[in-house]
Amino acid sequence: MSNRKRCDGFTRRDTLQLGLGGFLGAGFVESLKARAESQHGGSVPAGKAKSCILIWMDGGPTHFETFDPKPDAPMEFRGEFSSIETSVPGVGYSEHMVKLAASLNDYAMIRSIRHDQGNHGAGNHYMMTGSPPRIPVGCGAFVSFHPSMGSVVARELGRDNGLPSYFSMPQMSRSGGPNFLGAKYAPFVVGDDPNNAQFKVRDVALPRDLTDMRFGSRTDLRSKIDRMVRISDEAAGDPVLAFDEYFQQGHTLVTSPEAQKAFDISLESPETRERYGRDSFGQRCLLSRRLVEAGVPFITVYDGGWDHHSDIFGSLRKRLPAWDNSVATLIQDLKERGLLDSTLVVALGEFGRTPKISTLAGSTTGGRDHWANAMSVLMAGGGTPGGTVVGATDRKGFSAVDRVLSPENFVSTVYHKLGIDPNKILYSPQGRPSHLVSDPTPITELI
Amino acid sequence: MSRRSARFLIAFALLAFSLSPACKLRAEEPAIVDFENDLQPIFTRFGCNSGPCHGKARGQGGFQLSLLGFDGQQDYDAIAKEGRGRRVFPGAPENSLLIAKPAGKTPHGGGKRLDVDSPEYQTLLNWVRQGMPRKAPSAATLQSITVSPPSLILAASQTQALTVTAKYSDGAERDVTRLTAFQSNEAPIAAVNENGLVTAGQITGDAAIMARFMGQIAVCDVMIPRPEVIPAEVYAQLPRNNFIDELVWQKLQRLNITPSPVCDDHTFLRRATTDISGRIPTLEEVNAFLADTSADKRSKLIDRLLEEPEFADHWANKWADLLRPNPYHVGIKATFNYDHWIRQSFHDRKPWDQFVRELLTARGGTFRDGSVVMFRDRRQPEELTTLVSQLFIGVRLDCAKCHHHPFEVWGQDDFYSFAAYFSKIGRKGTGISAPISGSEEFVFTGTSGSVTHPVTGATMTPRPLFGEAPPVVEGQDQRESLAAWITSPNNHLFAQVMSNRVWADLLARGFVEPVDDLRATNPPTNGPLLKALGEHFRDSGFSITELIRVVANSHVYQLSSLPNETNAADTRNYSRHYRHRLRAEVLLDAVSLVTGVPQEFDAMPPDSSAKQLWTHRSDSLFLDTFGRPDPNQDPPCERMSDSTVVQSLHLMNSEKLYRDIGSDNGTAKSLADSEKSAEEISAELYARVFGRKPTVEETALVTELLAAEGAVRRQVIEDLMWAMVNSAEFVFQD
Repeated sequence: MSNRKRCDGFTRRDTLQLGLGGFLGAGFVESLKARAESQHGGSVPAGKAKSCILIWMDGGPTHFETFDPKPDAPMEFRGEFSSIETSVPGVGYSEHMVKLAASLNDYAMIRSIRHDQGNHGAGNHYMMTGSPPRIPVGCGAFVSFHPSMGSVVARELGRDNGLPSYFSMPQMSRSGGPNFLGAKYAPFVVGDDPNNAQFKVRDVALPRDLTDMRFGSRTDLRSKIDRMVRISDEAAGDPVLAFDEYFQQGHTLVTSPEAQKAFDISLESPETRERYGRDSFGQRCLLSRRLVEAGVPFITVYDGGWDHHSDIFGSLRKRLPAWDNSVATLIQDLKERGLLDSTLVVALGEFGRTPKISTLAGSTTGGRDHWANAMSVLMAGGGTPGGTVVGATDRKGFSAVDRVLSPENFVSTVYHKLGIDPNKILYSPQGRPSHLVSDPTPITELI
Repeated sequence: MSRRSARFLIAFALLAFSLSPACKLRAEEPAIVDFENDLQPIFTRFGCNSGPCHGKARGQGGFQLSLLGFDGQQDYDAIAKEGRGRRVFPGAPENSLLIAKPAGKTPHGGGKRLDVDSPEYQTLLNWVRQGMPRKAPSAATLQSITVSPPSLILAASQTQALTVTAKYSDGAERDVTRLTAFQSNEAPIAAVNENGLVTAGQITGDAAIMARFMGQIAVCDVMIPRPEVIPAEVYAQLPRNNFIDELVWQKLQRLNITPSPVCDDHTFLRRATTDISGRIPTLEEVNAFLADTSADKRSKLIDRLLEEPEFADHWANKWADLLRPNPYHVGIKATFNYDHWIRQSFHDRKPWDQFVRELLTARGGTFRDGSVVMFRDRRQPEELTTLVSQLFIGVRLDCAKCHHHPFEVWGQDDFYSFAAYFSKIGRKGTGISAPISGSEEFVFTGTSGSVTHPVTGATMTPRPLFGEAPPVVEGQDQRESLAAWITSPNNHLFAQVMSNRVWADLLARGFVEPVDDLRATNPPTNGPLLKALGEHFRDSGFSITELIRVVANSHVYQLSSLPNETNAADTRNYSRHYRHRLRAEVLLDAVSLVTGVPQEFDAMPPDSSAKQLWTHRSDSLFLDTFGRPDPNQDPPCERMSDSTVVQSLHLMNSEKLYRDIGSDNGTAKSLADSEKSAEEISAELYARVFGRKPTVEETALVTELLAAEGAVRRQVIEDLMWAMVNSAEFVFQD
């Protein structure tokens, strides 16, 4: 099957021509840079962002208790939290978003994205791919009909330098897969908890008990043992040549102290680790920054549990302060390191939540249910103008009313910022050309 | 009368001024321009109505044309009537947007496409001057096109111009080369430019050049043989185990390339065992096979493998990949039952026509009858149409759902007539619902339901794509008629697409690629052999085991992968074996066999193999890494067998593999604990991992390592095992 036409219309031979070679020799970080730049030489509009960190708030975060409070609405809409001022006059946040409110000048807030997919499976798919599911899907569904943003970015900006180009931590998001782009662009899932003292990124570092020396003797041994004849004539298309190239890349990654540092979160100072918050989410945000520094183009921090049908206030009181701190710190830290211009940070879930607080049968505490007519999305970096608030919902937060935007607009904006043409044509498994995003119009205020 | 034929029953301009150098012109007055015959080809040729431009579903800049000009009326209206009349100005024809934009006189997102001096520009201008006639007075219909020459043999770098001639219903012919789109299916072998000039590359092989003009297609076959002719007796002396060999040698002879020698016994053992049974040979099998001196041991091995239960699991695993529903969509119990039905069918060695008939006409409940789950998963006739036609007859109808396939003969009439077979499927029970569609659903022969043509609104009568299907009898399930047509011995596509698939599974490359895309514009690399193989499959009663048997017994299947001086560049004609990486499940089972530590999977009994997994929801980092598709992906897709760096990293550093190699219950430990000599350990490791005997030097290396000062026997064996598992010889099939 090795030379079969791939689903995306490329043959393996094309891939080899596009990708490999020329990497070894120069310093690791240097070679990353060289590749990153050459990637942007083509007809694609140059994007400012080279990497994207997607904070995926699975379950559908409430817009009321986060970025779009309705302090003037009646109690059954407004909820238990009050509103606080942000650094942008006239714009209020919910009371627990203290640090993000203070730093709104560093990022933008979109309050007017809406769509029509009110269940988790479909909403996940729409926001994660920019394409609504082709057929109706159930609420608990994990579906994939179109490549996710992460997979597309991995394909477009991946650098074939040994580093996986799409990380997802601690799990893959529901529609975060590559679909027809193929397994090569599936997320590299790092399930372990970086807040754990024993943490390491799987596979990119040696197994725990294996010493460098023994690894060295193993690879020496392999070079003596792997005697399968390589067919050097390029026209023969021997797939073993690519295998060798990848082994070499992996080996370089594992043995390069510089590369290994990228994955070693324990090298961060205790102050920095504390600053991000000593919990799994905070440390994943911190690890994301390290991965960005190493040149990984797309990282999803999967953050589940935002489906607050009940006890919304109790659980958010506990959760939001730490969350607010971790996300604000990530943006701040990227800015301090001069990385914010080249790093896009996005936080969102699949939809917003119902304006009116409801109490489900069997529950004693109030919650909010699924609501796709309005949601808030945070976007920072990659040239996003800080302090911009795009669009608005109505007085009670029912619906986006001003500057109504679609998931397509959102996803196009992400691609645009990364220098990927959202109007690009991909080929489905049936060979049918389809646009990366059906409506490729980005949100101009954020460009 | 159908809409399509009506569209073509349009007066034809006898003297199409600009397009027909062969015709005589009346110089003073240009002939009436015909929209269909004269204008549409221009829009197609210059890309105006292509997918990325005005041909896409939402048009471009508010101006929408039908994709590649398949709907003349729509396009005529878009140009002559819509756009508030700005697109055409009969008063000042040059100022028409239709003319000014492509000529670059008015800003145009698509840039300048036409020269003012070009005949096409003049045609557009004449048409507007003439008042935009919908049809010319005495038009004929385009009947066919021919490309000349129809086949070519070129030397490397040689060029040849193609000529395309259109034939019309009134007998007229015209040279439409200028307005024809050309495409090569193998550009490195023979490229073609927009004017139809073919240029041979430097690689020996063959290519098909497709010429497309207004929905008509013609193909020119190009062959680039090696320049040195090889004497006929070389081919006459080659072995012929069965008809396959003869037909491959014939093709190689025309290309002047010779096949590689036959492969070693150990290579054949590993090749046949991984291909047929999806596992690597065991230590005992390796030793027994290599010691066997009988002349027919390869044939006997093939027969034995075809009897194994692993054979069924391996091939069921491949088909489950293609038929697999999203468990969140159909429910987990239905997923299990479906997998079980597929798997059991392979265990029963069910003839392929019976498998497909049972699947297509399935009736029953999803909790009892796994075969009905396809109809739970695919609920719309349209979805069933694309899946069924692609998988079982290799016809891709996806495009024809919305528009005429640009490289195909199928249109919407064909699509919706086919879909009509699925219009009366009865369903009862709990449909697809949140959160996990957990309940049972029944599928039965319904009495109501219809499929309508999305454009004409007509209710469609079931009709096969070609040939005759048994008529639908009142009260009978329409699907019976469809299944009879699909699986008929007269339906060559049914036999050929499966033959092509199985051939690709064993030879690493199909005659046709993608394997389920059979059409005139994607010709097979060896048409006579595909035909013969299809007939053999049909005559065997659609026996998959017989199909595999005949392929595996051919001399061609048993060739070495190493090239000789003539065939390194051959990647499509089977003059040598093409290597490929082992499939995810095969590789993981191989790892388990080597380490001696079985895998543990969720939802599976202990000691299950990866091939037996009935859902991709059972977690496995290893399988995901090596290309097992996302369980939730739709549509299912052919897997890629590429290597990736993530795979290299996983074999290199996976904690799990590290622990399994070093396990107290594993092979390495038990070898270390044994009294075996260095020589015996070397022999056992090489047989287990690579399926062969070590060479003298290899045994010397093992001996040296074990005897080294301070060497820890168990560590040395573990290191050897790690090094071998990370070698190409383990990961690839040679």
